[in-house]
Amino acid sequence: MKKEKLWESILAEVQLAISPTKFNTWFKNTELMEYENGKIKIAVPNAFTKEWLKNKHNETIIEAVKSVGEKVDRVDYIIEQNTRRKKKKKKEEIKKEDNEGQMEFEEFQIDKKSNLNPKYTFENFIVGPFNELSHAAAYAVAENPGKVYNPLFIYGKVGLGKTHLLQSIGNEVKKSSKKVKYIPAQKFITGVVNGIKNGQMEHFKSKYKDIDVLIIDDIQFLSGKEKTQEEFFHTFNDLYEKNKQIILSSDRPPKSIRSLTERLRSRFEGGMIADINFPDLETRLAILKTKAQEKKFNISEEVSSYIAENIQKNIRELEGALNKLVAHHKLTGKKITKKEAEKILKNILESPTKNVSSSQITKAVSKFYDISENDLKGSSRKKEIVKPRQVAMYLLREELEYSFPFIGKKMGGKDHTTVMYSYKKIKKKLDTDEDIKEEISLIKQMMLSV
Amino acid sequence: MKFKIRQDKIKKGLAIAGRIATKSVSLPILKNIHIKTENNFLSLSATDLEVGVKWWSLSKIGEDGETTVPLDLFSNFIGLLPGEEKVEVESDNNDLKVVCEDYKTEIKGLSADDFPIIPEVEAEKVLKIKNDKLMEGLKQVVDIPSSTKVKPEISGVYFQFKGKTLKLAATDSYRLAEKILFLEEKIKNDFSFILPQKAAKELLNIFIEEDEIEIKFDSNQVLFESSMDETDHPKIQLVSKLIEGDYPDYEAIIPEKTDTQVLLEKEEFLNKIKAASLFSGKVNEVTIDADEKEDKVLISSEDNDLGKYETEMKAKVEGEEVKISFNHRFLKDGLEQIKAAEIVFSMSGEDGPGKIVPVGNDDFLYVVMPIKNR
Repeated sequence: MKKEKLWESILAEVQLAISPTKFNTWFKNTELMEYENGKIKIAVPNAFTKEWLKNKHNETIIEAVKSVGEKVDRVDYIIEQNTRRKKKKKKEEIKKEDNEGQMEFEEFQIDKKSNLNPKYTFENFIVGPFNELSHAAAYAVAENPGKVYNPLFIYGKVGLGKTHLLQSIGNEVKKSSKKVKYIPAQKFITGVVNGIKNGQMEHFKSKYKDIDVLIIDDIQFLSGKEKTQEEFFHTFNDLYEKNKQIILSSDRPPKSIRSLTERLRSRFEGGMIADINFPDLETRLAILKTKAQEKKFNISEEVSSYIAENIQKNIRELEGALNKLVAHHKLTGKKITKKEAEKILKNILESPTKNVSSSQITKAVSKFYDISENDLKGSSRKKEIVKPRQVAMYLLREELEYSFPFIGKKMGGKDHTTVMYSYKKIKKKLDTDEDIKEEISLIKQMMLSV
Repeated sequence: MKFKIRQDKIKKGLAIAGRIATKSVSLPILKNIHIKTENNFLSLSATDLEVGVKWWSLSKIGEDGETTVPLDLFSNFIGLLPGEEKVEVESDNNDLKVVCEDYKTEIKGLSADDFPIIPEVEAEKVLKIKNDKLMEGLKQVVDIPSSTKVKPEISGVYFQFKGKTLKLAATDSYRLAEKILFLEEKIKNDFSFILPQKAAKELLNIFIEEDEIEIKFDSNQVLFESSMDETDHPKIQLVSKLIEGDYPDYEAIIPEKTDTQVLLEKEEFLNKIKAASLFSGKVNEVTIDADEKEDKVLISSEDNDLGKYETEMKAKVEGEEVKISFNHRFLKDGLEQIKAAEIVFSMSGEDGPGKIVPVGNDDFLYVVMPIKNR
């Protein structure tokens, strides 16, 4: 007889022998774990039940087994807090508390072994023309890890869903009981540094030996970290040779990552490179509506188009704006009109570039190209310095609309014709050269934080 | 069963063991207290099927035996008897006859056979600890765990024994408290377990007067036990189930470096938070504004219906300017557990965790997440 069936018939017998209250107290959440050669193992939810069944109902159970025509000479009780039936019930109880903006320790959501956050799945990833290729590639990799695109390299600006996509792959692959490890590059670097410091490099390496899918987020942080790059190169090769899947993300394509050894660069480029662009208006609207629905917030057509039209380059900001409206609505209980939305979102919608100062621009440029500000404003004709200088002049013109002579003065007393030439040169390059486009948009992001 | 005991003694026993008795529709006997006499000892025990408490006393035993009677009735009656007088108790089948001076009563009982068996802990690990330290530390963290069924691991207090330290940690995923206790002897093997919050609270109530506690546990159960002064016999035992699963890696969320550090006088800060809480409305939000250039912080709150509150207080601010909002209840909960006169409140931007530590004592810390998007 099958064990589930056997347990059912035992319960049916026991039910006749004892009172219903006792039956409910002591036989709820019990389960037959094993039945073999007359030995029975019963899973019970706690030690009280174990003691009770062992001392008071052992005979009843043995009688019941015999009465359905099975042999038994020994019954063992094992405490198992999460019996199958209980697990089922637990799921139903899960409901999110409403805490209106109260933040949580994100770390607690994270699965300890894989480092993955279960909230990121393909199901809640919104696909549009801007991320369709990356999504398709990610999906293919999740279906067939190690077999199709290896490595998969996904790049795009902040707040566009790279981490979501990467973790979705991980969570999908994990379903098939494969070993997945997700790690932000910064953590990998810390691991290497600590490994060297404490002489525990072997221990560190061993953590990456037996995994099926390795996901590293924000790989651009490896830039300039030579020892970590070397370590990562070996890890990469080990896994790659064993046909294990490697997935990387970055805010820029491999060729734009500064101070990256050639051998790593060529490996990054050896698989599939997919980018995530800025979402188009329709997708932004779709995202807003989905998020509003998740938060059970009624957003008018007018307000959602207002947000979608004004926040174009960052999905996280899109969500942030929505959260602000939700919070305001809950506080005042009033319906959010477009006028109100304009007032509430004034701070985040004002283009931050307008507030940039000239020193922020020069600082960001010199930081990005890793040269000193003195060199930038100096008169060296070296190629490594001339280009950054031209970029700085371009940005001063474009962002602050300074006059050419004024820019010349700001840049250490250059002639206005030099400035004009520089500006035109970069502007022209922007139409043809993807790299410079990339660099400039990165510098623009940096300007705000230097 | 037949025994004689002083009124004040059995009253105490009932107060200790009886706390855990509960009303249960499915198992009415849980509201009863189990009374048993055996070899010169009287024992009282009660359970709610998660925690079991047992209390012993030497007493003059006339006859061994056992029964169970409703706790409320029995202890109310005992409470009314004259103090320091002898109480004579005798069982008649399941019922209980109690005689004390001219008081006489008969209480209906239920068979001890139907009373749950409080499980034994087959000790794998045994450890002795000074009780006052444990009680003090436990008190500082015991109110934090959440009763969530979604993440059962954090619904208890985490006990982590390592070397010469015992770390107690508790969190509800919005805030976290950690207390470090220093042990007299080094632990041979490091170990840890998660004690359900309810058991932790009972532990505080029940063992408050004891000197030393012995802790024994296996993979499912933990036992806390104190011994009698006059013999080695156990005096009080509390058995609880342990929460299954791994406690989250809470140390990872304690920020090491922060952008802003503020030194504050605790009592004043707490009072100003309490004042601000009056105007925080149902979202519980109070805002703290700290700027290095000023030697003060701004505490404010606002509610559309109630009004506004704003106050300044002297502080030493280091690092970046920050404006950040917290649930006042969470701040209060943490501050109230700090005895030091001054605290350091460290923050990292409007959406990073805030950390509160007492000045001059690094055995306690409190981390709290802010409220965002307002």
